[in-house]
Amino acid sequence: MKSLVSIREGGLASWAFRLGAAALVAGLVLWIPTSAGGGLISTAIEALTLMSAAMALNLILGYTGQISIGHSAFLGIGAYTTGIFVSRWGFSPWLTFPIAFAIAFVVGVIVSFPASRIKGVYLALVTLSLGLVFPQLLTWKKLSWLTGGGAGLPNKDSQLQTTGFNIGRKEGQMLHFEIFGWNPFGDLRRPDNKAAFWYWIAAGVAVIVYLVCRGVVKSRIGRSMIAIRDNETAAAVMGVNLVRTKAFVFGLSAGLCALPGCVVAIKIGSVSPEGITSLTVKGAITFLIVMVIGGAGSLWGPIVGAALYVFVTEKTGEWANDDAIPALIRPLFAWAKVPPGDGIFAILLILLMFVAPRGIVGLWNQYSSRIVRVLPRPAGAVGPAPMAAVAVSTITDSEGEHE
Amino acid sequence: MTLLKATGLSAGYGPVTVLQGLDLEVQQGEFVVMLGANGAGKTTTMRAISGLLSRQGHIEFEGVDITKASPDAIVRAGIAQVPQGRGTFPELSVEDNLHTGAFVRADAEGVRDDIARWLAVFPRLAERRHQRAGSLSGGEQQMLAIARALMSRPKLLLCDEPSLGLAPLITQELFSVLEGLHRDEGLSVLLVEQNANLAMHIASRVYLLETGRIVASGSAAELSADDSIRKAYLGF
Amino acid sequence: MALFFQRLVDGLSYGSVYALIALGLVIVYRGTGHLNFAQGEMALFCAYFVYQFGEWGIPIWPAMLLGMGVGFLLGSATEVTLIRPIARRSPFAVFIVTIGLFTFLNWLDGAIWGNQQLPNSGVGSEQLTYPSLFPNDPQDQWLPFGVSIRYERVGILVLVLVLTGLLFLLFNKTKFGLSMRAVASNSESAKLSGIRTNRVLMMSWGLAAAIGALGGVVQAGLNGNVNLGLMFTVFIYGSAAATLGGFDSPGGAVIGGLLIGVIENLASGYAPQWVGQEMKLGVAFIVILAVLLVKPSGLFGTAKVERV
Repeated sequence: MKSLVSIREGGLASWAFRLGAAALVAGLVLWIPTSAGGGLISTAIEALTLMSAAMALNLILGYTGQISIGHSAFLGIGAYTTGIFVSRWGFSPWLTFPIAFAIAFVVGVIVSFPASRIKGVYLALVTLSLGLVFPQLLTWKKLSWLTGGGAGLPNKDSQLQTTGFNIGRKEGQMLHFEIFGWNPFGDLRRPDNKAAFWYWIAAGVAVIVYLVCRGVVKSRIGRSMIAIRDNETAAAVMGVNLVRTKAFVFGLSAGLCALPGCVVAIKIGSVSPEGITSLTVKGAITFLIVMVIGGAGSLWGPIVGAALYVFVTEKTGEWANDDAIPALIRPLFAWAKVPPGDGIFAILLILLMFVAPRGIVGLWNQYSSRIVRVLPRPAGAVGPAPMAAVAVSTITDSEGEHE
Repeated sequence: MTLLKATGLSAGYGPVTVLQGLDLEVQQGEFVVMLGANGAGKTTTMRAISGLLSRQGHIEFEGVDITKASPDAIVRAGIAQVPQGRGTFPELSVEDNLHTGAFVRADAEGVRDDIARWLAVFPRLAERRHQRAGSLSGGEQQMLAIARALMSRPKLLLCDEPSLGLAPLITQELFSVLEGLHRDEGLSVLLVEQNANLAMHIASRVYLLETGRIVASGSAAELSADDSIRKAYLGF
Repeated sequence: MALFFQRLVDGLSYGSVYALIALGLVIVYRGTGHLNFAQGEMALFCAYFVYQFGEWGIPIWPAMLLGMGVGFLLGSATEVTLIRPIARRSPFAVFIVTIGLFTFLNWLDGAIWGNQQLPNSGVGSEQLTYPSLFPNDPQDQWLPFGVSIRYERVGILVLVLVLTGLLFLLFNKTKFGLSMRAVASNSESAKLSGIRTNRVLMMSWGLAAAIGALGGVVQAGLNGNVNLGLMFTVFIYGSAAATLGGFDSPGGAVIGGLLIGVIENLASGYAPQWVGQEMKLGVAFIVILAVLLVKPSGLFGTAKVERV
């Protein structure tokens, strides 16, 4: 296959590329809260939480091949942990992050035990029922002492608003966020500063989730996961402990999925079954769609997918109202009584299974090797080879293909 | 007259080509045997003829080109196969298995007669007429598979390793049934086997298949006479 | 005692709808080995169509048959265009496609008919409520021993039983039914017997969708209106029923559906504190889980031995 440019792995140019890409992403991430308007920040926060949830789902579905359409329940556990612990018992919201992770982790491990005995579509049904039952559990009268029932929290029994961080001076309202005396956000009563604050929490969570996923995927456990996905029986025969691996990954996936739930709770300021769509099955399906469109089984897939999803939904959100549609495409969508966002993604998902089953990232991997090809380091070589870092080549070479 | 004729037949699974341009033919009334070791391509040949794989080259049946024909058209043309591993319908009863074999036929009377006939030829099947096919023994399932294939009154019967996994006595019984049909009714048969012994006695002609190619062909006597072939392929 | 009977009858009629959805799921699964995640939404789509037919003045029974026809077309078209090409790749891809279809159909319903419940005078509907297949006025009931047995509920149950009987005849006494069973049992041998397996698959999906359409219409009739969320929970109940009965047993699907309808209704009626309205789905969830852990092949299904 012809490429325009060949680069040696580990060489100078390879590093340059990676740093360049990282700088681009970092620049975008840094730019958003500072110069963009409130609308874009809000959209970005949505994208970041969706990214985190999709990345978490990717661990168990994309990499380990266990179908789960119930991850919305874990996000809900995260949101409600924050809601309950802060408003009923006055915990600091920061503490609720690890607590939510731990609770969701345990639930995930518990779910994994029956899941080990259930295959494929049956597992999909079980997790789907879980996802459907969770919002019902929240409104269950028997649990309303904890969950606040249908109305949610905070309610008249609560001590605090969930956005009321009680670190700092006044009760109920956090005025400043100080790190070692540095106050980067200013007065948190102002909506701009609050938005930036939430943005950074969401971004922080996304980064943490990414790093954890990356660490797991590139480790031995990651290889076990992929082995399980590709052929469970073979994996077991090769010494992978199925039950333990699945338990761990399910737990981790659940725990990580709870974190964006905490972020959502903090941002909205209250938790209720109606108020947070991401904890219903619709949310779980959205995570799935985002993950598959972006590219299941790849680290950046969920990130790309989430960004695309939020962007398109945002842009087309107004299109239920005919005037908002750009005149050129009006005939396509003017007849629809609801915004076309969901329809577009549904069609995209189906098309993708025909054309690009590995999602956008898969497509990128396929076609980017036409432009840039990274030659792997020869076995035994240590360190970069600075002199021969870049070679321009138009000769077809069947060796050295790098995905 | 030439019943089946294949020239330059190639077939495989995805990127792997198993058959590398075969030439073979079956004349009317012949009992042709194809011998070959595991992996030689015997089953692939059978499946290619029956249309279960995509194939390149040329296959003709009774002078009609069936290279691109669908499996059901090939059955209608008059080729029936007893697949490797029996291929019965385990959840269906013995009787329903037979009815399925006659799927392409429209004459209900004739079908009923044929069912009675085959149950008479294989009395063990008659005893288990309403039993689920999956609960039959290996030998019984093989009988059922043969009967099912014959229900369509084929002109050419393809048999893929009928002796596989069966006790010698049963195998002999089956082969004698096939031999009887060939002798008494002129049924044309193409049979593939690993077990040379049994097959050589009945065969009109033998093909030797090795890694997707025909390496020798001739009558059973001719091949047995050739020492090197005998030792290398026929094992005696 | 009267109350028990009441709840039993009501449970059976809700269970009838679950049975219909479960039947569709089982027919597809038996024939093709896939779970049609979009079964509920296909049914809903047809139910919306029947509403529309009603708006155009067509009486309910012909409208329902037309709706089943729409379902048949939808199901068979889906199999040919979406499922068959993808099935070659992987079962996971098929699953994703059915999820995509699920989302698409639901969106399409909203896009065409809006997201309020219909009929709705605010939207200019001709009809007052969604038509029911059987007499539905408040006084259309028997009142033996203080139990209210509504004609509608009995009618639905009878309809489902009749349908089940017809399907039994189709599967066991017709050549086409034999071909369906053969393809489900061993698709390659079916080809070798001269059966056009592609056609059988297509018809299986069509039949399943048509049955689902009936389920959608019945559910909408029971509900009084059709809305976007009508079939979400019904789909889960139908899946629970198919799991309970055994995914390769149509009879099991029907029995499973009726059982779950009854269990759910009795549970919520007799233990309102514990189950009530909120946790009815919890019953379905527990059923699915219990069956899959104890006897995965269900009550009437055949256990498959996994060959490595």
